[in-house]
Amino acid sequence: MIRNLVKKYGDYTALDDLSLTLSKGQILGLIGPNGAGKTTTIKVLVGLSRPTSGTATISGVDCVNESKRIKQLVGYMPDKFGSYDNMRVREYLDFFGSAFQIPRSKRIGRIEEVMEMTGVTYMRDRYVDALSHGMAQKVGIARILLHDPEVLILDEPANGLDPQARIEMRDLLLQLARIGKTLLVTSHILPELSRICDQIAILTNGKLRACGTVKEIGRQVSQQRTVEVQLADEGSLSVAANIIKEIIPQEDVTESPAEAVIRFRTNRSEDALVQVLAALVKASIPVSQFRELQTDLEEAFMSFARSQKEVERAPSIAKAEA
Amino acid sequence: MQNPIVHRELISLLRQRRTVVMQCLLAVCFVLLIAIRWPTEPRMALSGLRSQEVFRLFAYGLLAALLLILPVAPATSIVRERTRGTLAMLLNSPLGPVQIYGGKFLATVGLAMQMLLLSLPAAAACYALGGIYPMDVISTYLILILTVLLVTSMGLLVSTYSVTSDSAVRWTFGFVLSISVIATLPHYLMLGTGGLTGTAISWMRAMSPITAMMSLHGAADLGAAGMTTTENVVLRFCGLAILATAVQSLWAISRLNFSLFDSARDTGMIVDDQSLGVRSVRRAVFIVDPKRRSGYIGPLTNPVMVKEFRCRKFGRLHWLLRLIAVCGIISLALTILTTTQTVSWDVAGVGGIMVVLQVALIVLITPSLAAGLIATERETGGWVLLQSTKLSVWQIVWGKLLSVVLTLGLVLLATLPGYLVMVAIDPNQWGQVKRVAICLLMTALFVMLCSAAVGSLFRKTVTATSCAYAVVLTVCAAPLLFWLGRGAPFGHRTVEAALIVNPIAAGFSVIRVPGFTEYDLVPGNWWFLGGASIVCLLLLIWQTHRVSRPQ
Repeated sequence: MIRNLVKKYGDYTALDDLSLTLSKGQILGLIGPNGAGKTTTIKVLVGLSRPTSGTATISGVDCVNESKRIKQLVGYMPDKFGSYDNMRVREYLDFFGSAFQIPRSKRIGRIEEVMEMTGVTYMRDRYVDALSHGMAQKVGIARILLHDPEVLILDEPANGLDPQARIEMRDLLLQLARIGKTLLVTSHILPELSRICDQIAILTNGKLRACGTVKEIGRQVSQQRTVEVQLADEGSLSVAANIIKEIIPQEDVTESPAEAVIRFRTNRSEDALVQVLAALVKASIPVSQFRELQTDLEEAFMSFARSQKEVERAPSIAKAEA
Repeated sequence: MQNPIVHRELISLLRQRRTVVMQCLLAVCFVLLIAIRWPTEPRMALSGLRSQEVFRLFAYGLLAALLLILPVAPATSIVRERTRGTLAMLLNSPLGPVQIYGGKFLATVGLAMQMLLLSLPAAAACYALGGIYPMDVISTYLILILTVLLVTSMGLLVSTYSVTSDSAVRWTFGFVLSISVIATLPHYLMLGTGGLTGTAISWMRAMSPITAMMSLHGAADLGAAGMTTTENVVLRFCGLAILATAVQSLWAISRLNFSLFDSARDTGMIVDDQSLGVRSVRRAVFIVDPKRRSGYIGPLTNPVMVKEFRCRKFGRLHWLLRLIAVCGIISLALTILTTTQTVSWDVAGVGGIMVVLQVALIVLITPSLAAGLIATERETGGWVLLQSTKLSVWQIVWGKLLSVVLTLGLVLLATLPGYLVMVAIDPNQWGQVKRVAICLLMTALFVMLCSAAVGSLFRKTVTATSCAYAVVLTVCAAPLLFWLGRGAPFGHRTVEAALIVNPIAAGFSVIRVPGFTEYDLVPGNWWFLGGASIVCLLLLIWQTHRVSRPQ
């Protein structure tokens, strides 16, 4: 739980009154443009940075004052792998297991377990400095699982991965959530986050702009929902479009004859949509699908980034006009 | 300046503010050197002895500066391009290997030449004082220029073989030390040897720029126990330096192609999975096979120490065994030397050689082990990972220092039997040997803590290693310049004050090496090394605490 977190570096405000809550077993995706404050948030959570004001707790443990307990509770994977020369994967995991003071007898089994879980058993004898980026990310996750932390914090885990490795990473993160781990993930690859995250938080300039499920964020971005009506054939397309326009006039209704689809944007209630569907069925229009299109996370992110830029530009325009 | 590499590497460097500051400081140093020694009395000796003394010191100082500072630039030049990924771009450009090499060679040489040009007014002032012939000045600068060419080509060649910048710096300093100092040792060890061996030894000695400079300034047979040499060392050095520069350059150019990148990732072969035959052969070759599956870190063991041994190339057991074996062989050779030569050389002569070898070993190995302890972790991102573990900062630092202490301890122990033989031959030497052992221990401690402290101030391993080498070599070599100027221009008290910081001089003074017997350096040197070690330790602790505290 993060409450009213502020972090300032001199005059620069990296985090501005940030508050976030994440429940156990959930995956939170933290997104934002470069310099938004994602890594600063993570650093405060893992005890690498002290906030100017505000509090951050994980399972009731204060991230600032109880850094020793936080180390046990959190597994942190930074965006930089942290490779060592001439060290094999198994030796690498053994070192970190030992650094987490896991007894030797328990450590041997635990290393095998995490290697199995993350699918790196076959590369146990490879040198860590000779691993591909995808392999290194998996070893990084195996490393943070060694001491069995409750919360996993991953900074850009999918960055630089090829599509296959990205799918594997996604499955791995979902698997970790299934076994009860709580995950906080930052990423620039937004479709990946929308597929795996229970919650998304959008940060710009250190401020939380939106937080919730992808669907909720979509609604926050735009109050107008996009509804798609798929017809069985294109013959009745214009008839159907006219019925919709009659029920919800002044709305933007577009026809796509090639797809036999009508799309319209509306801010009307669910009742209005029920009315539209009923009218179409009554008119014997062959409707095969009637659904609300989810707002794309990328679209939502861009919308927040755009509005932030407009806010930034406003004073300069005002100045120029003056 | 048509070569774009020269433009990028030299002109860009010269435009930097820090380069201008360094040039100004250098110029001020030269001016001060002359100003201090400029005659103030209305009368002066016609012999020009005073200006000769100043010029001699000036020449040795320039040579020492070149040998200490110059190797870093060429050593990192190619390997840095390779690790940054820009070498592939250069090789893919219309520039050929000759142009790439030529650009880098000229850039480094240009920088060194600029340093030499700055020293010209000071040399001219010495000349104006009288007593120095134009040929002396020309010959001195010829040796310096050839040293620049030799070291630059050597550094660039090493750079083509290296995988990391710090290993390139380490190896280049090692080779420079080998040709400058170690190449001269056979001459002093086997004085008067004739035949083919004698010729080989005299040519080997002529490879050293220090020998050439000493020969030019009339100190060619220092420590030669009255035996003089007749060969023209300066001429031989010139020939050898030109030849070595040409060979090294051609060799480096031949390596500048895509074969540098043409290697697969290491698949991590493990010998445990191989057949019995393969395992047996490897066991016979390695004794401790580096490709065997290592054990898990045991209880009560500092994991950072184990990690340091494992991820350091020379920290692996098979390398440590080789290192100890080499030290053992050196020790055995010294023991034989002690047994056979003590009568003709006396104990002090043999002891002096042993001190030089051991201090050289410490000075060469220790900065490479200790300088990157913190910097490498910060550079690779490992420091954040270590901070996120349960290890305290003190456990991390202690584990890292312990890995250096154990390696150094093994190396030093392997070289001690020579002293035991000396004591067996002359039991009266026991007191001296004990004091030498303390000198060596203090030196090892100081060099380790100094390297670790200096290295911890930097974020990059290569900068940390270079600066640690520069500081350690300055402490170990610069005071000897005062000793070379003993009697004139420096008086006894000045030389003693300068030597008090020098661990080699302290060892020499304890073992009663001729030239050092009149200086009382112990226990003053121990106090200095002890005090400096404590300061370095405090600096290391402070810096480690600073980089590990939450931002």
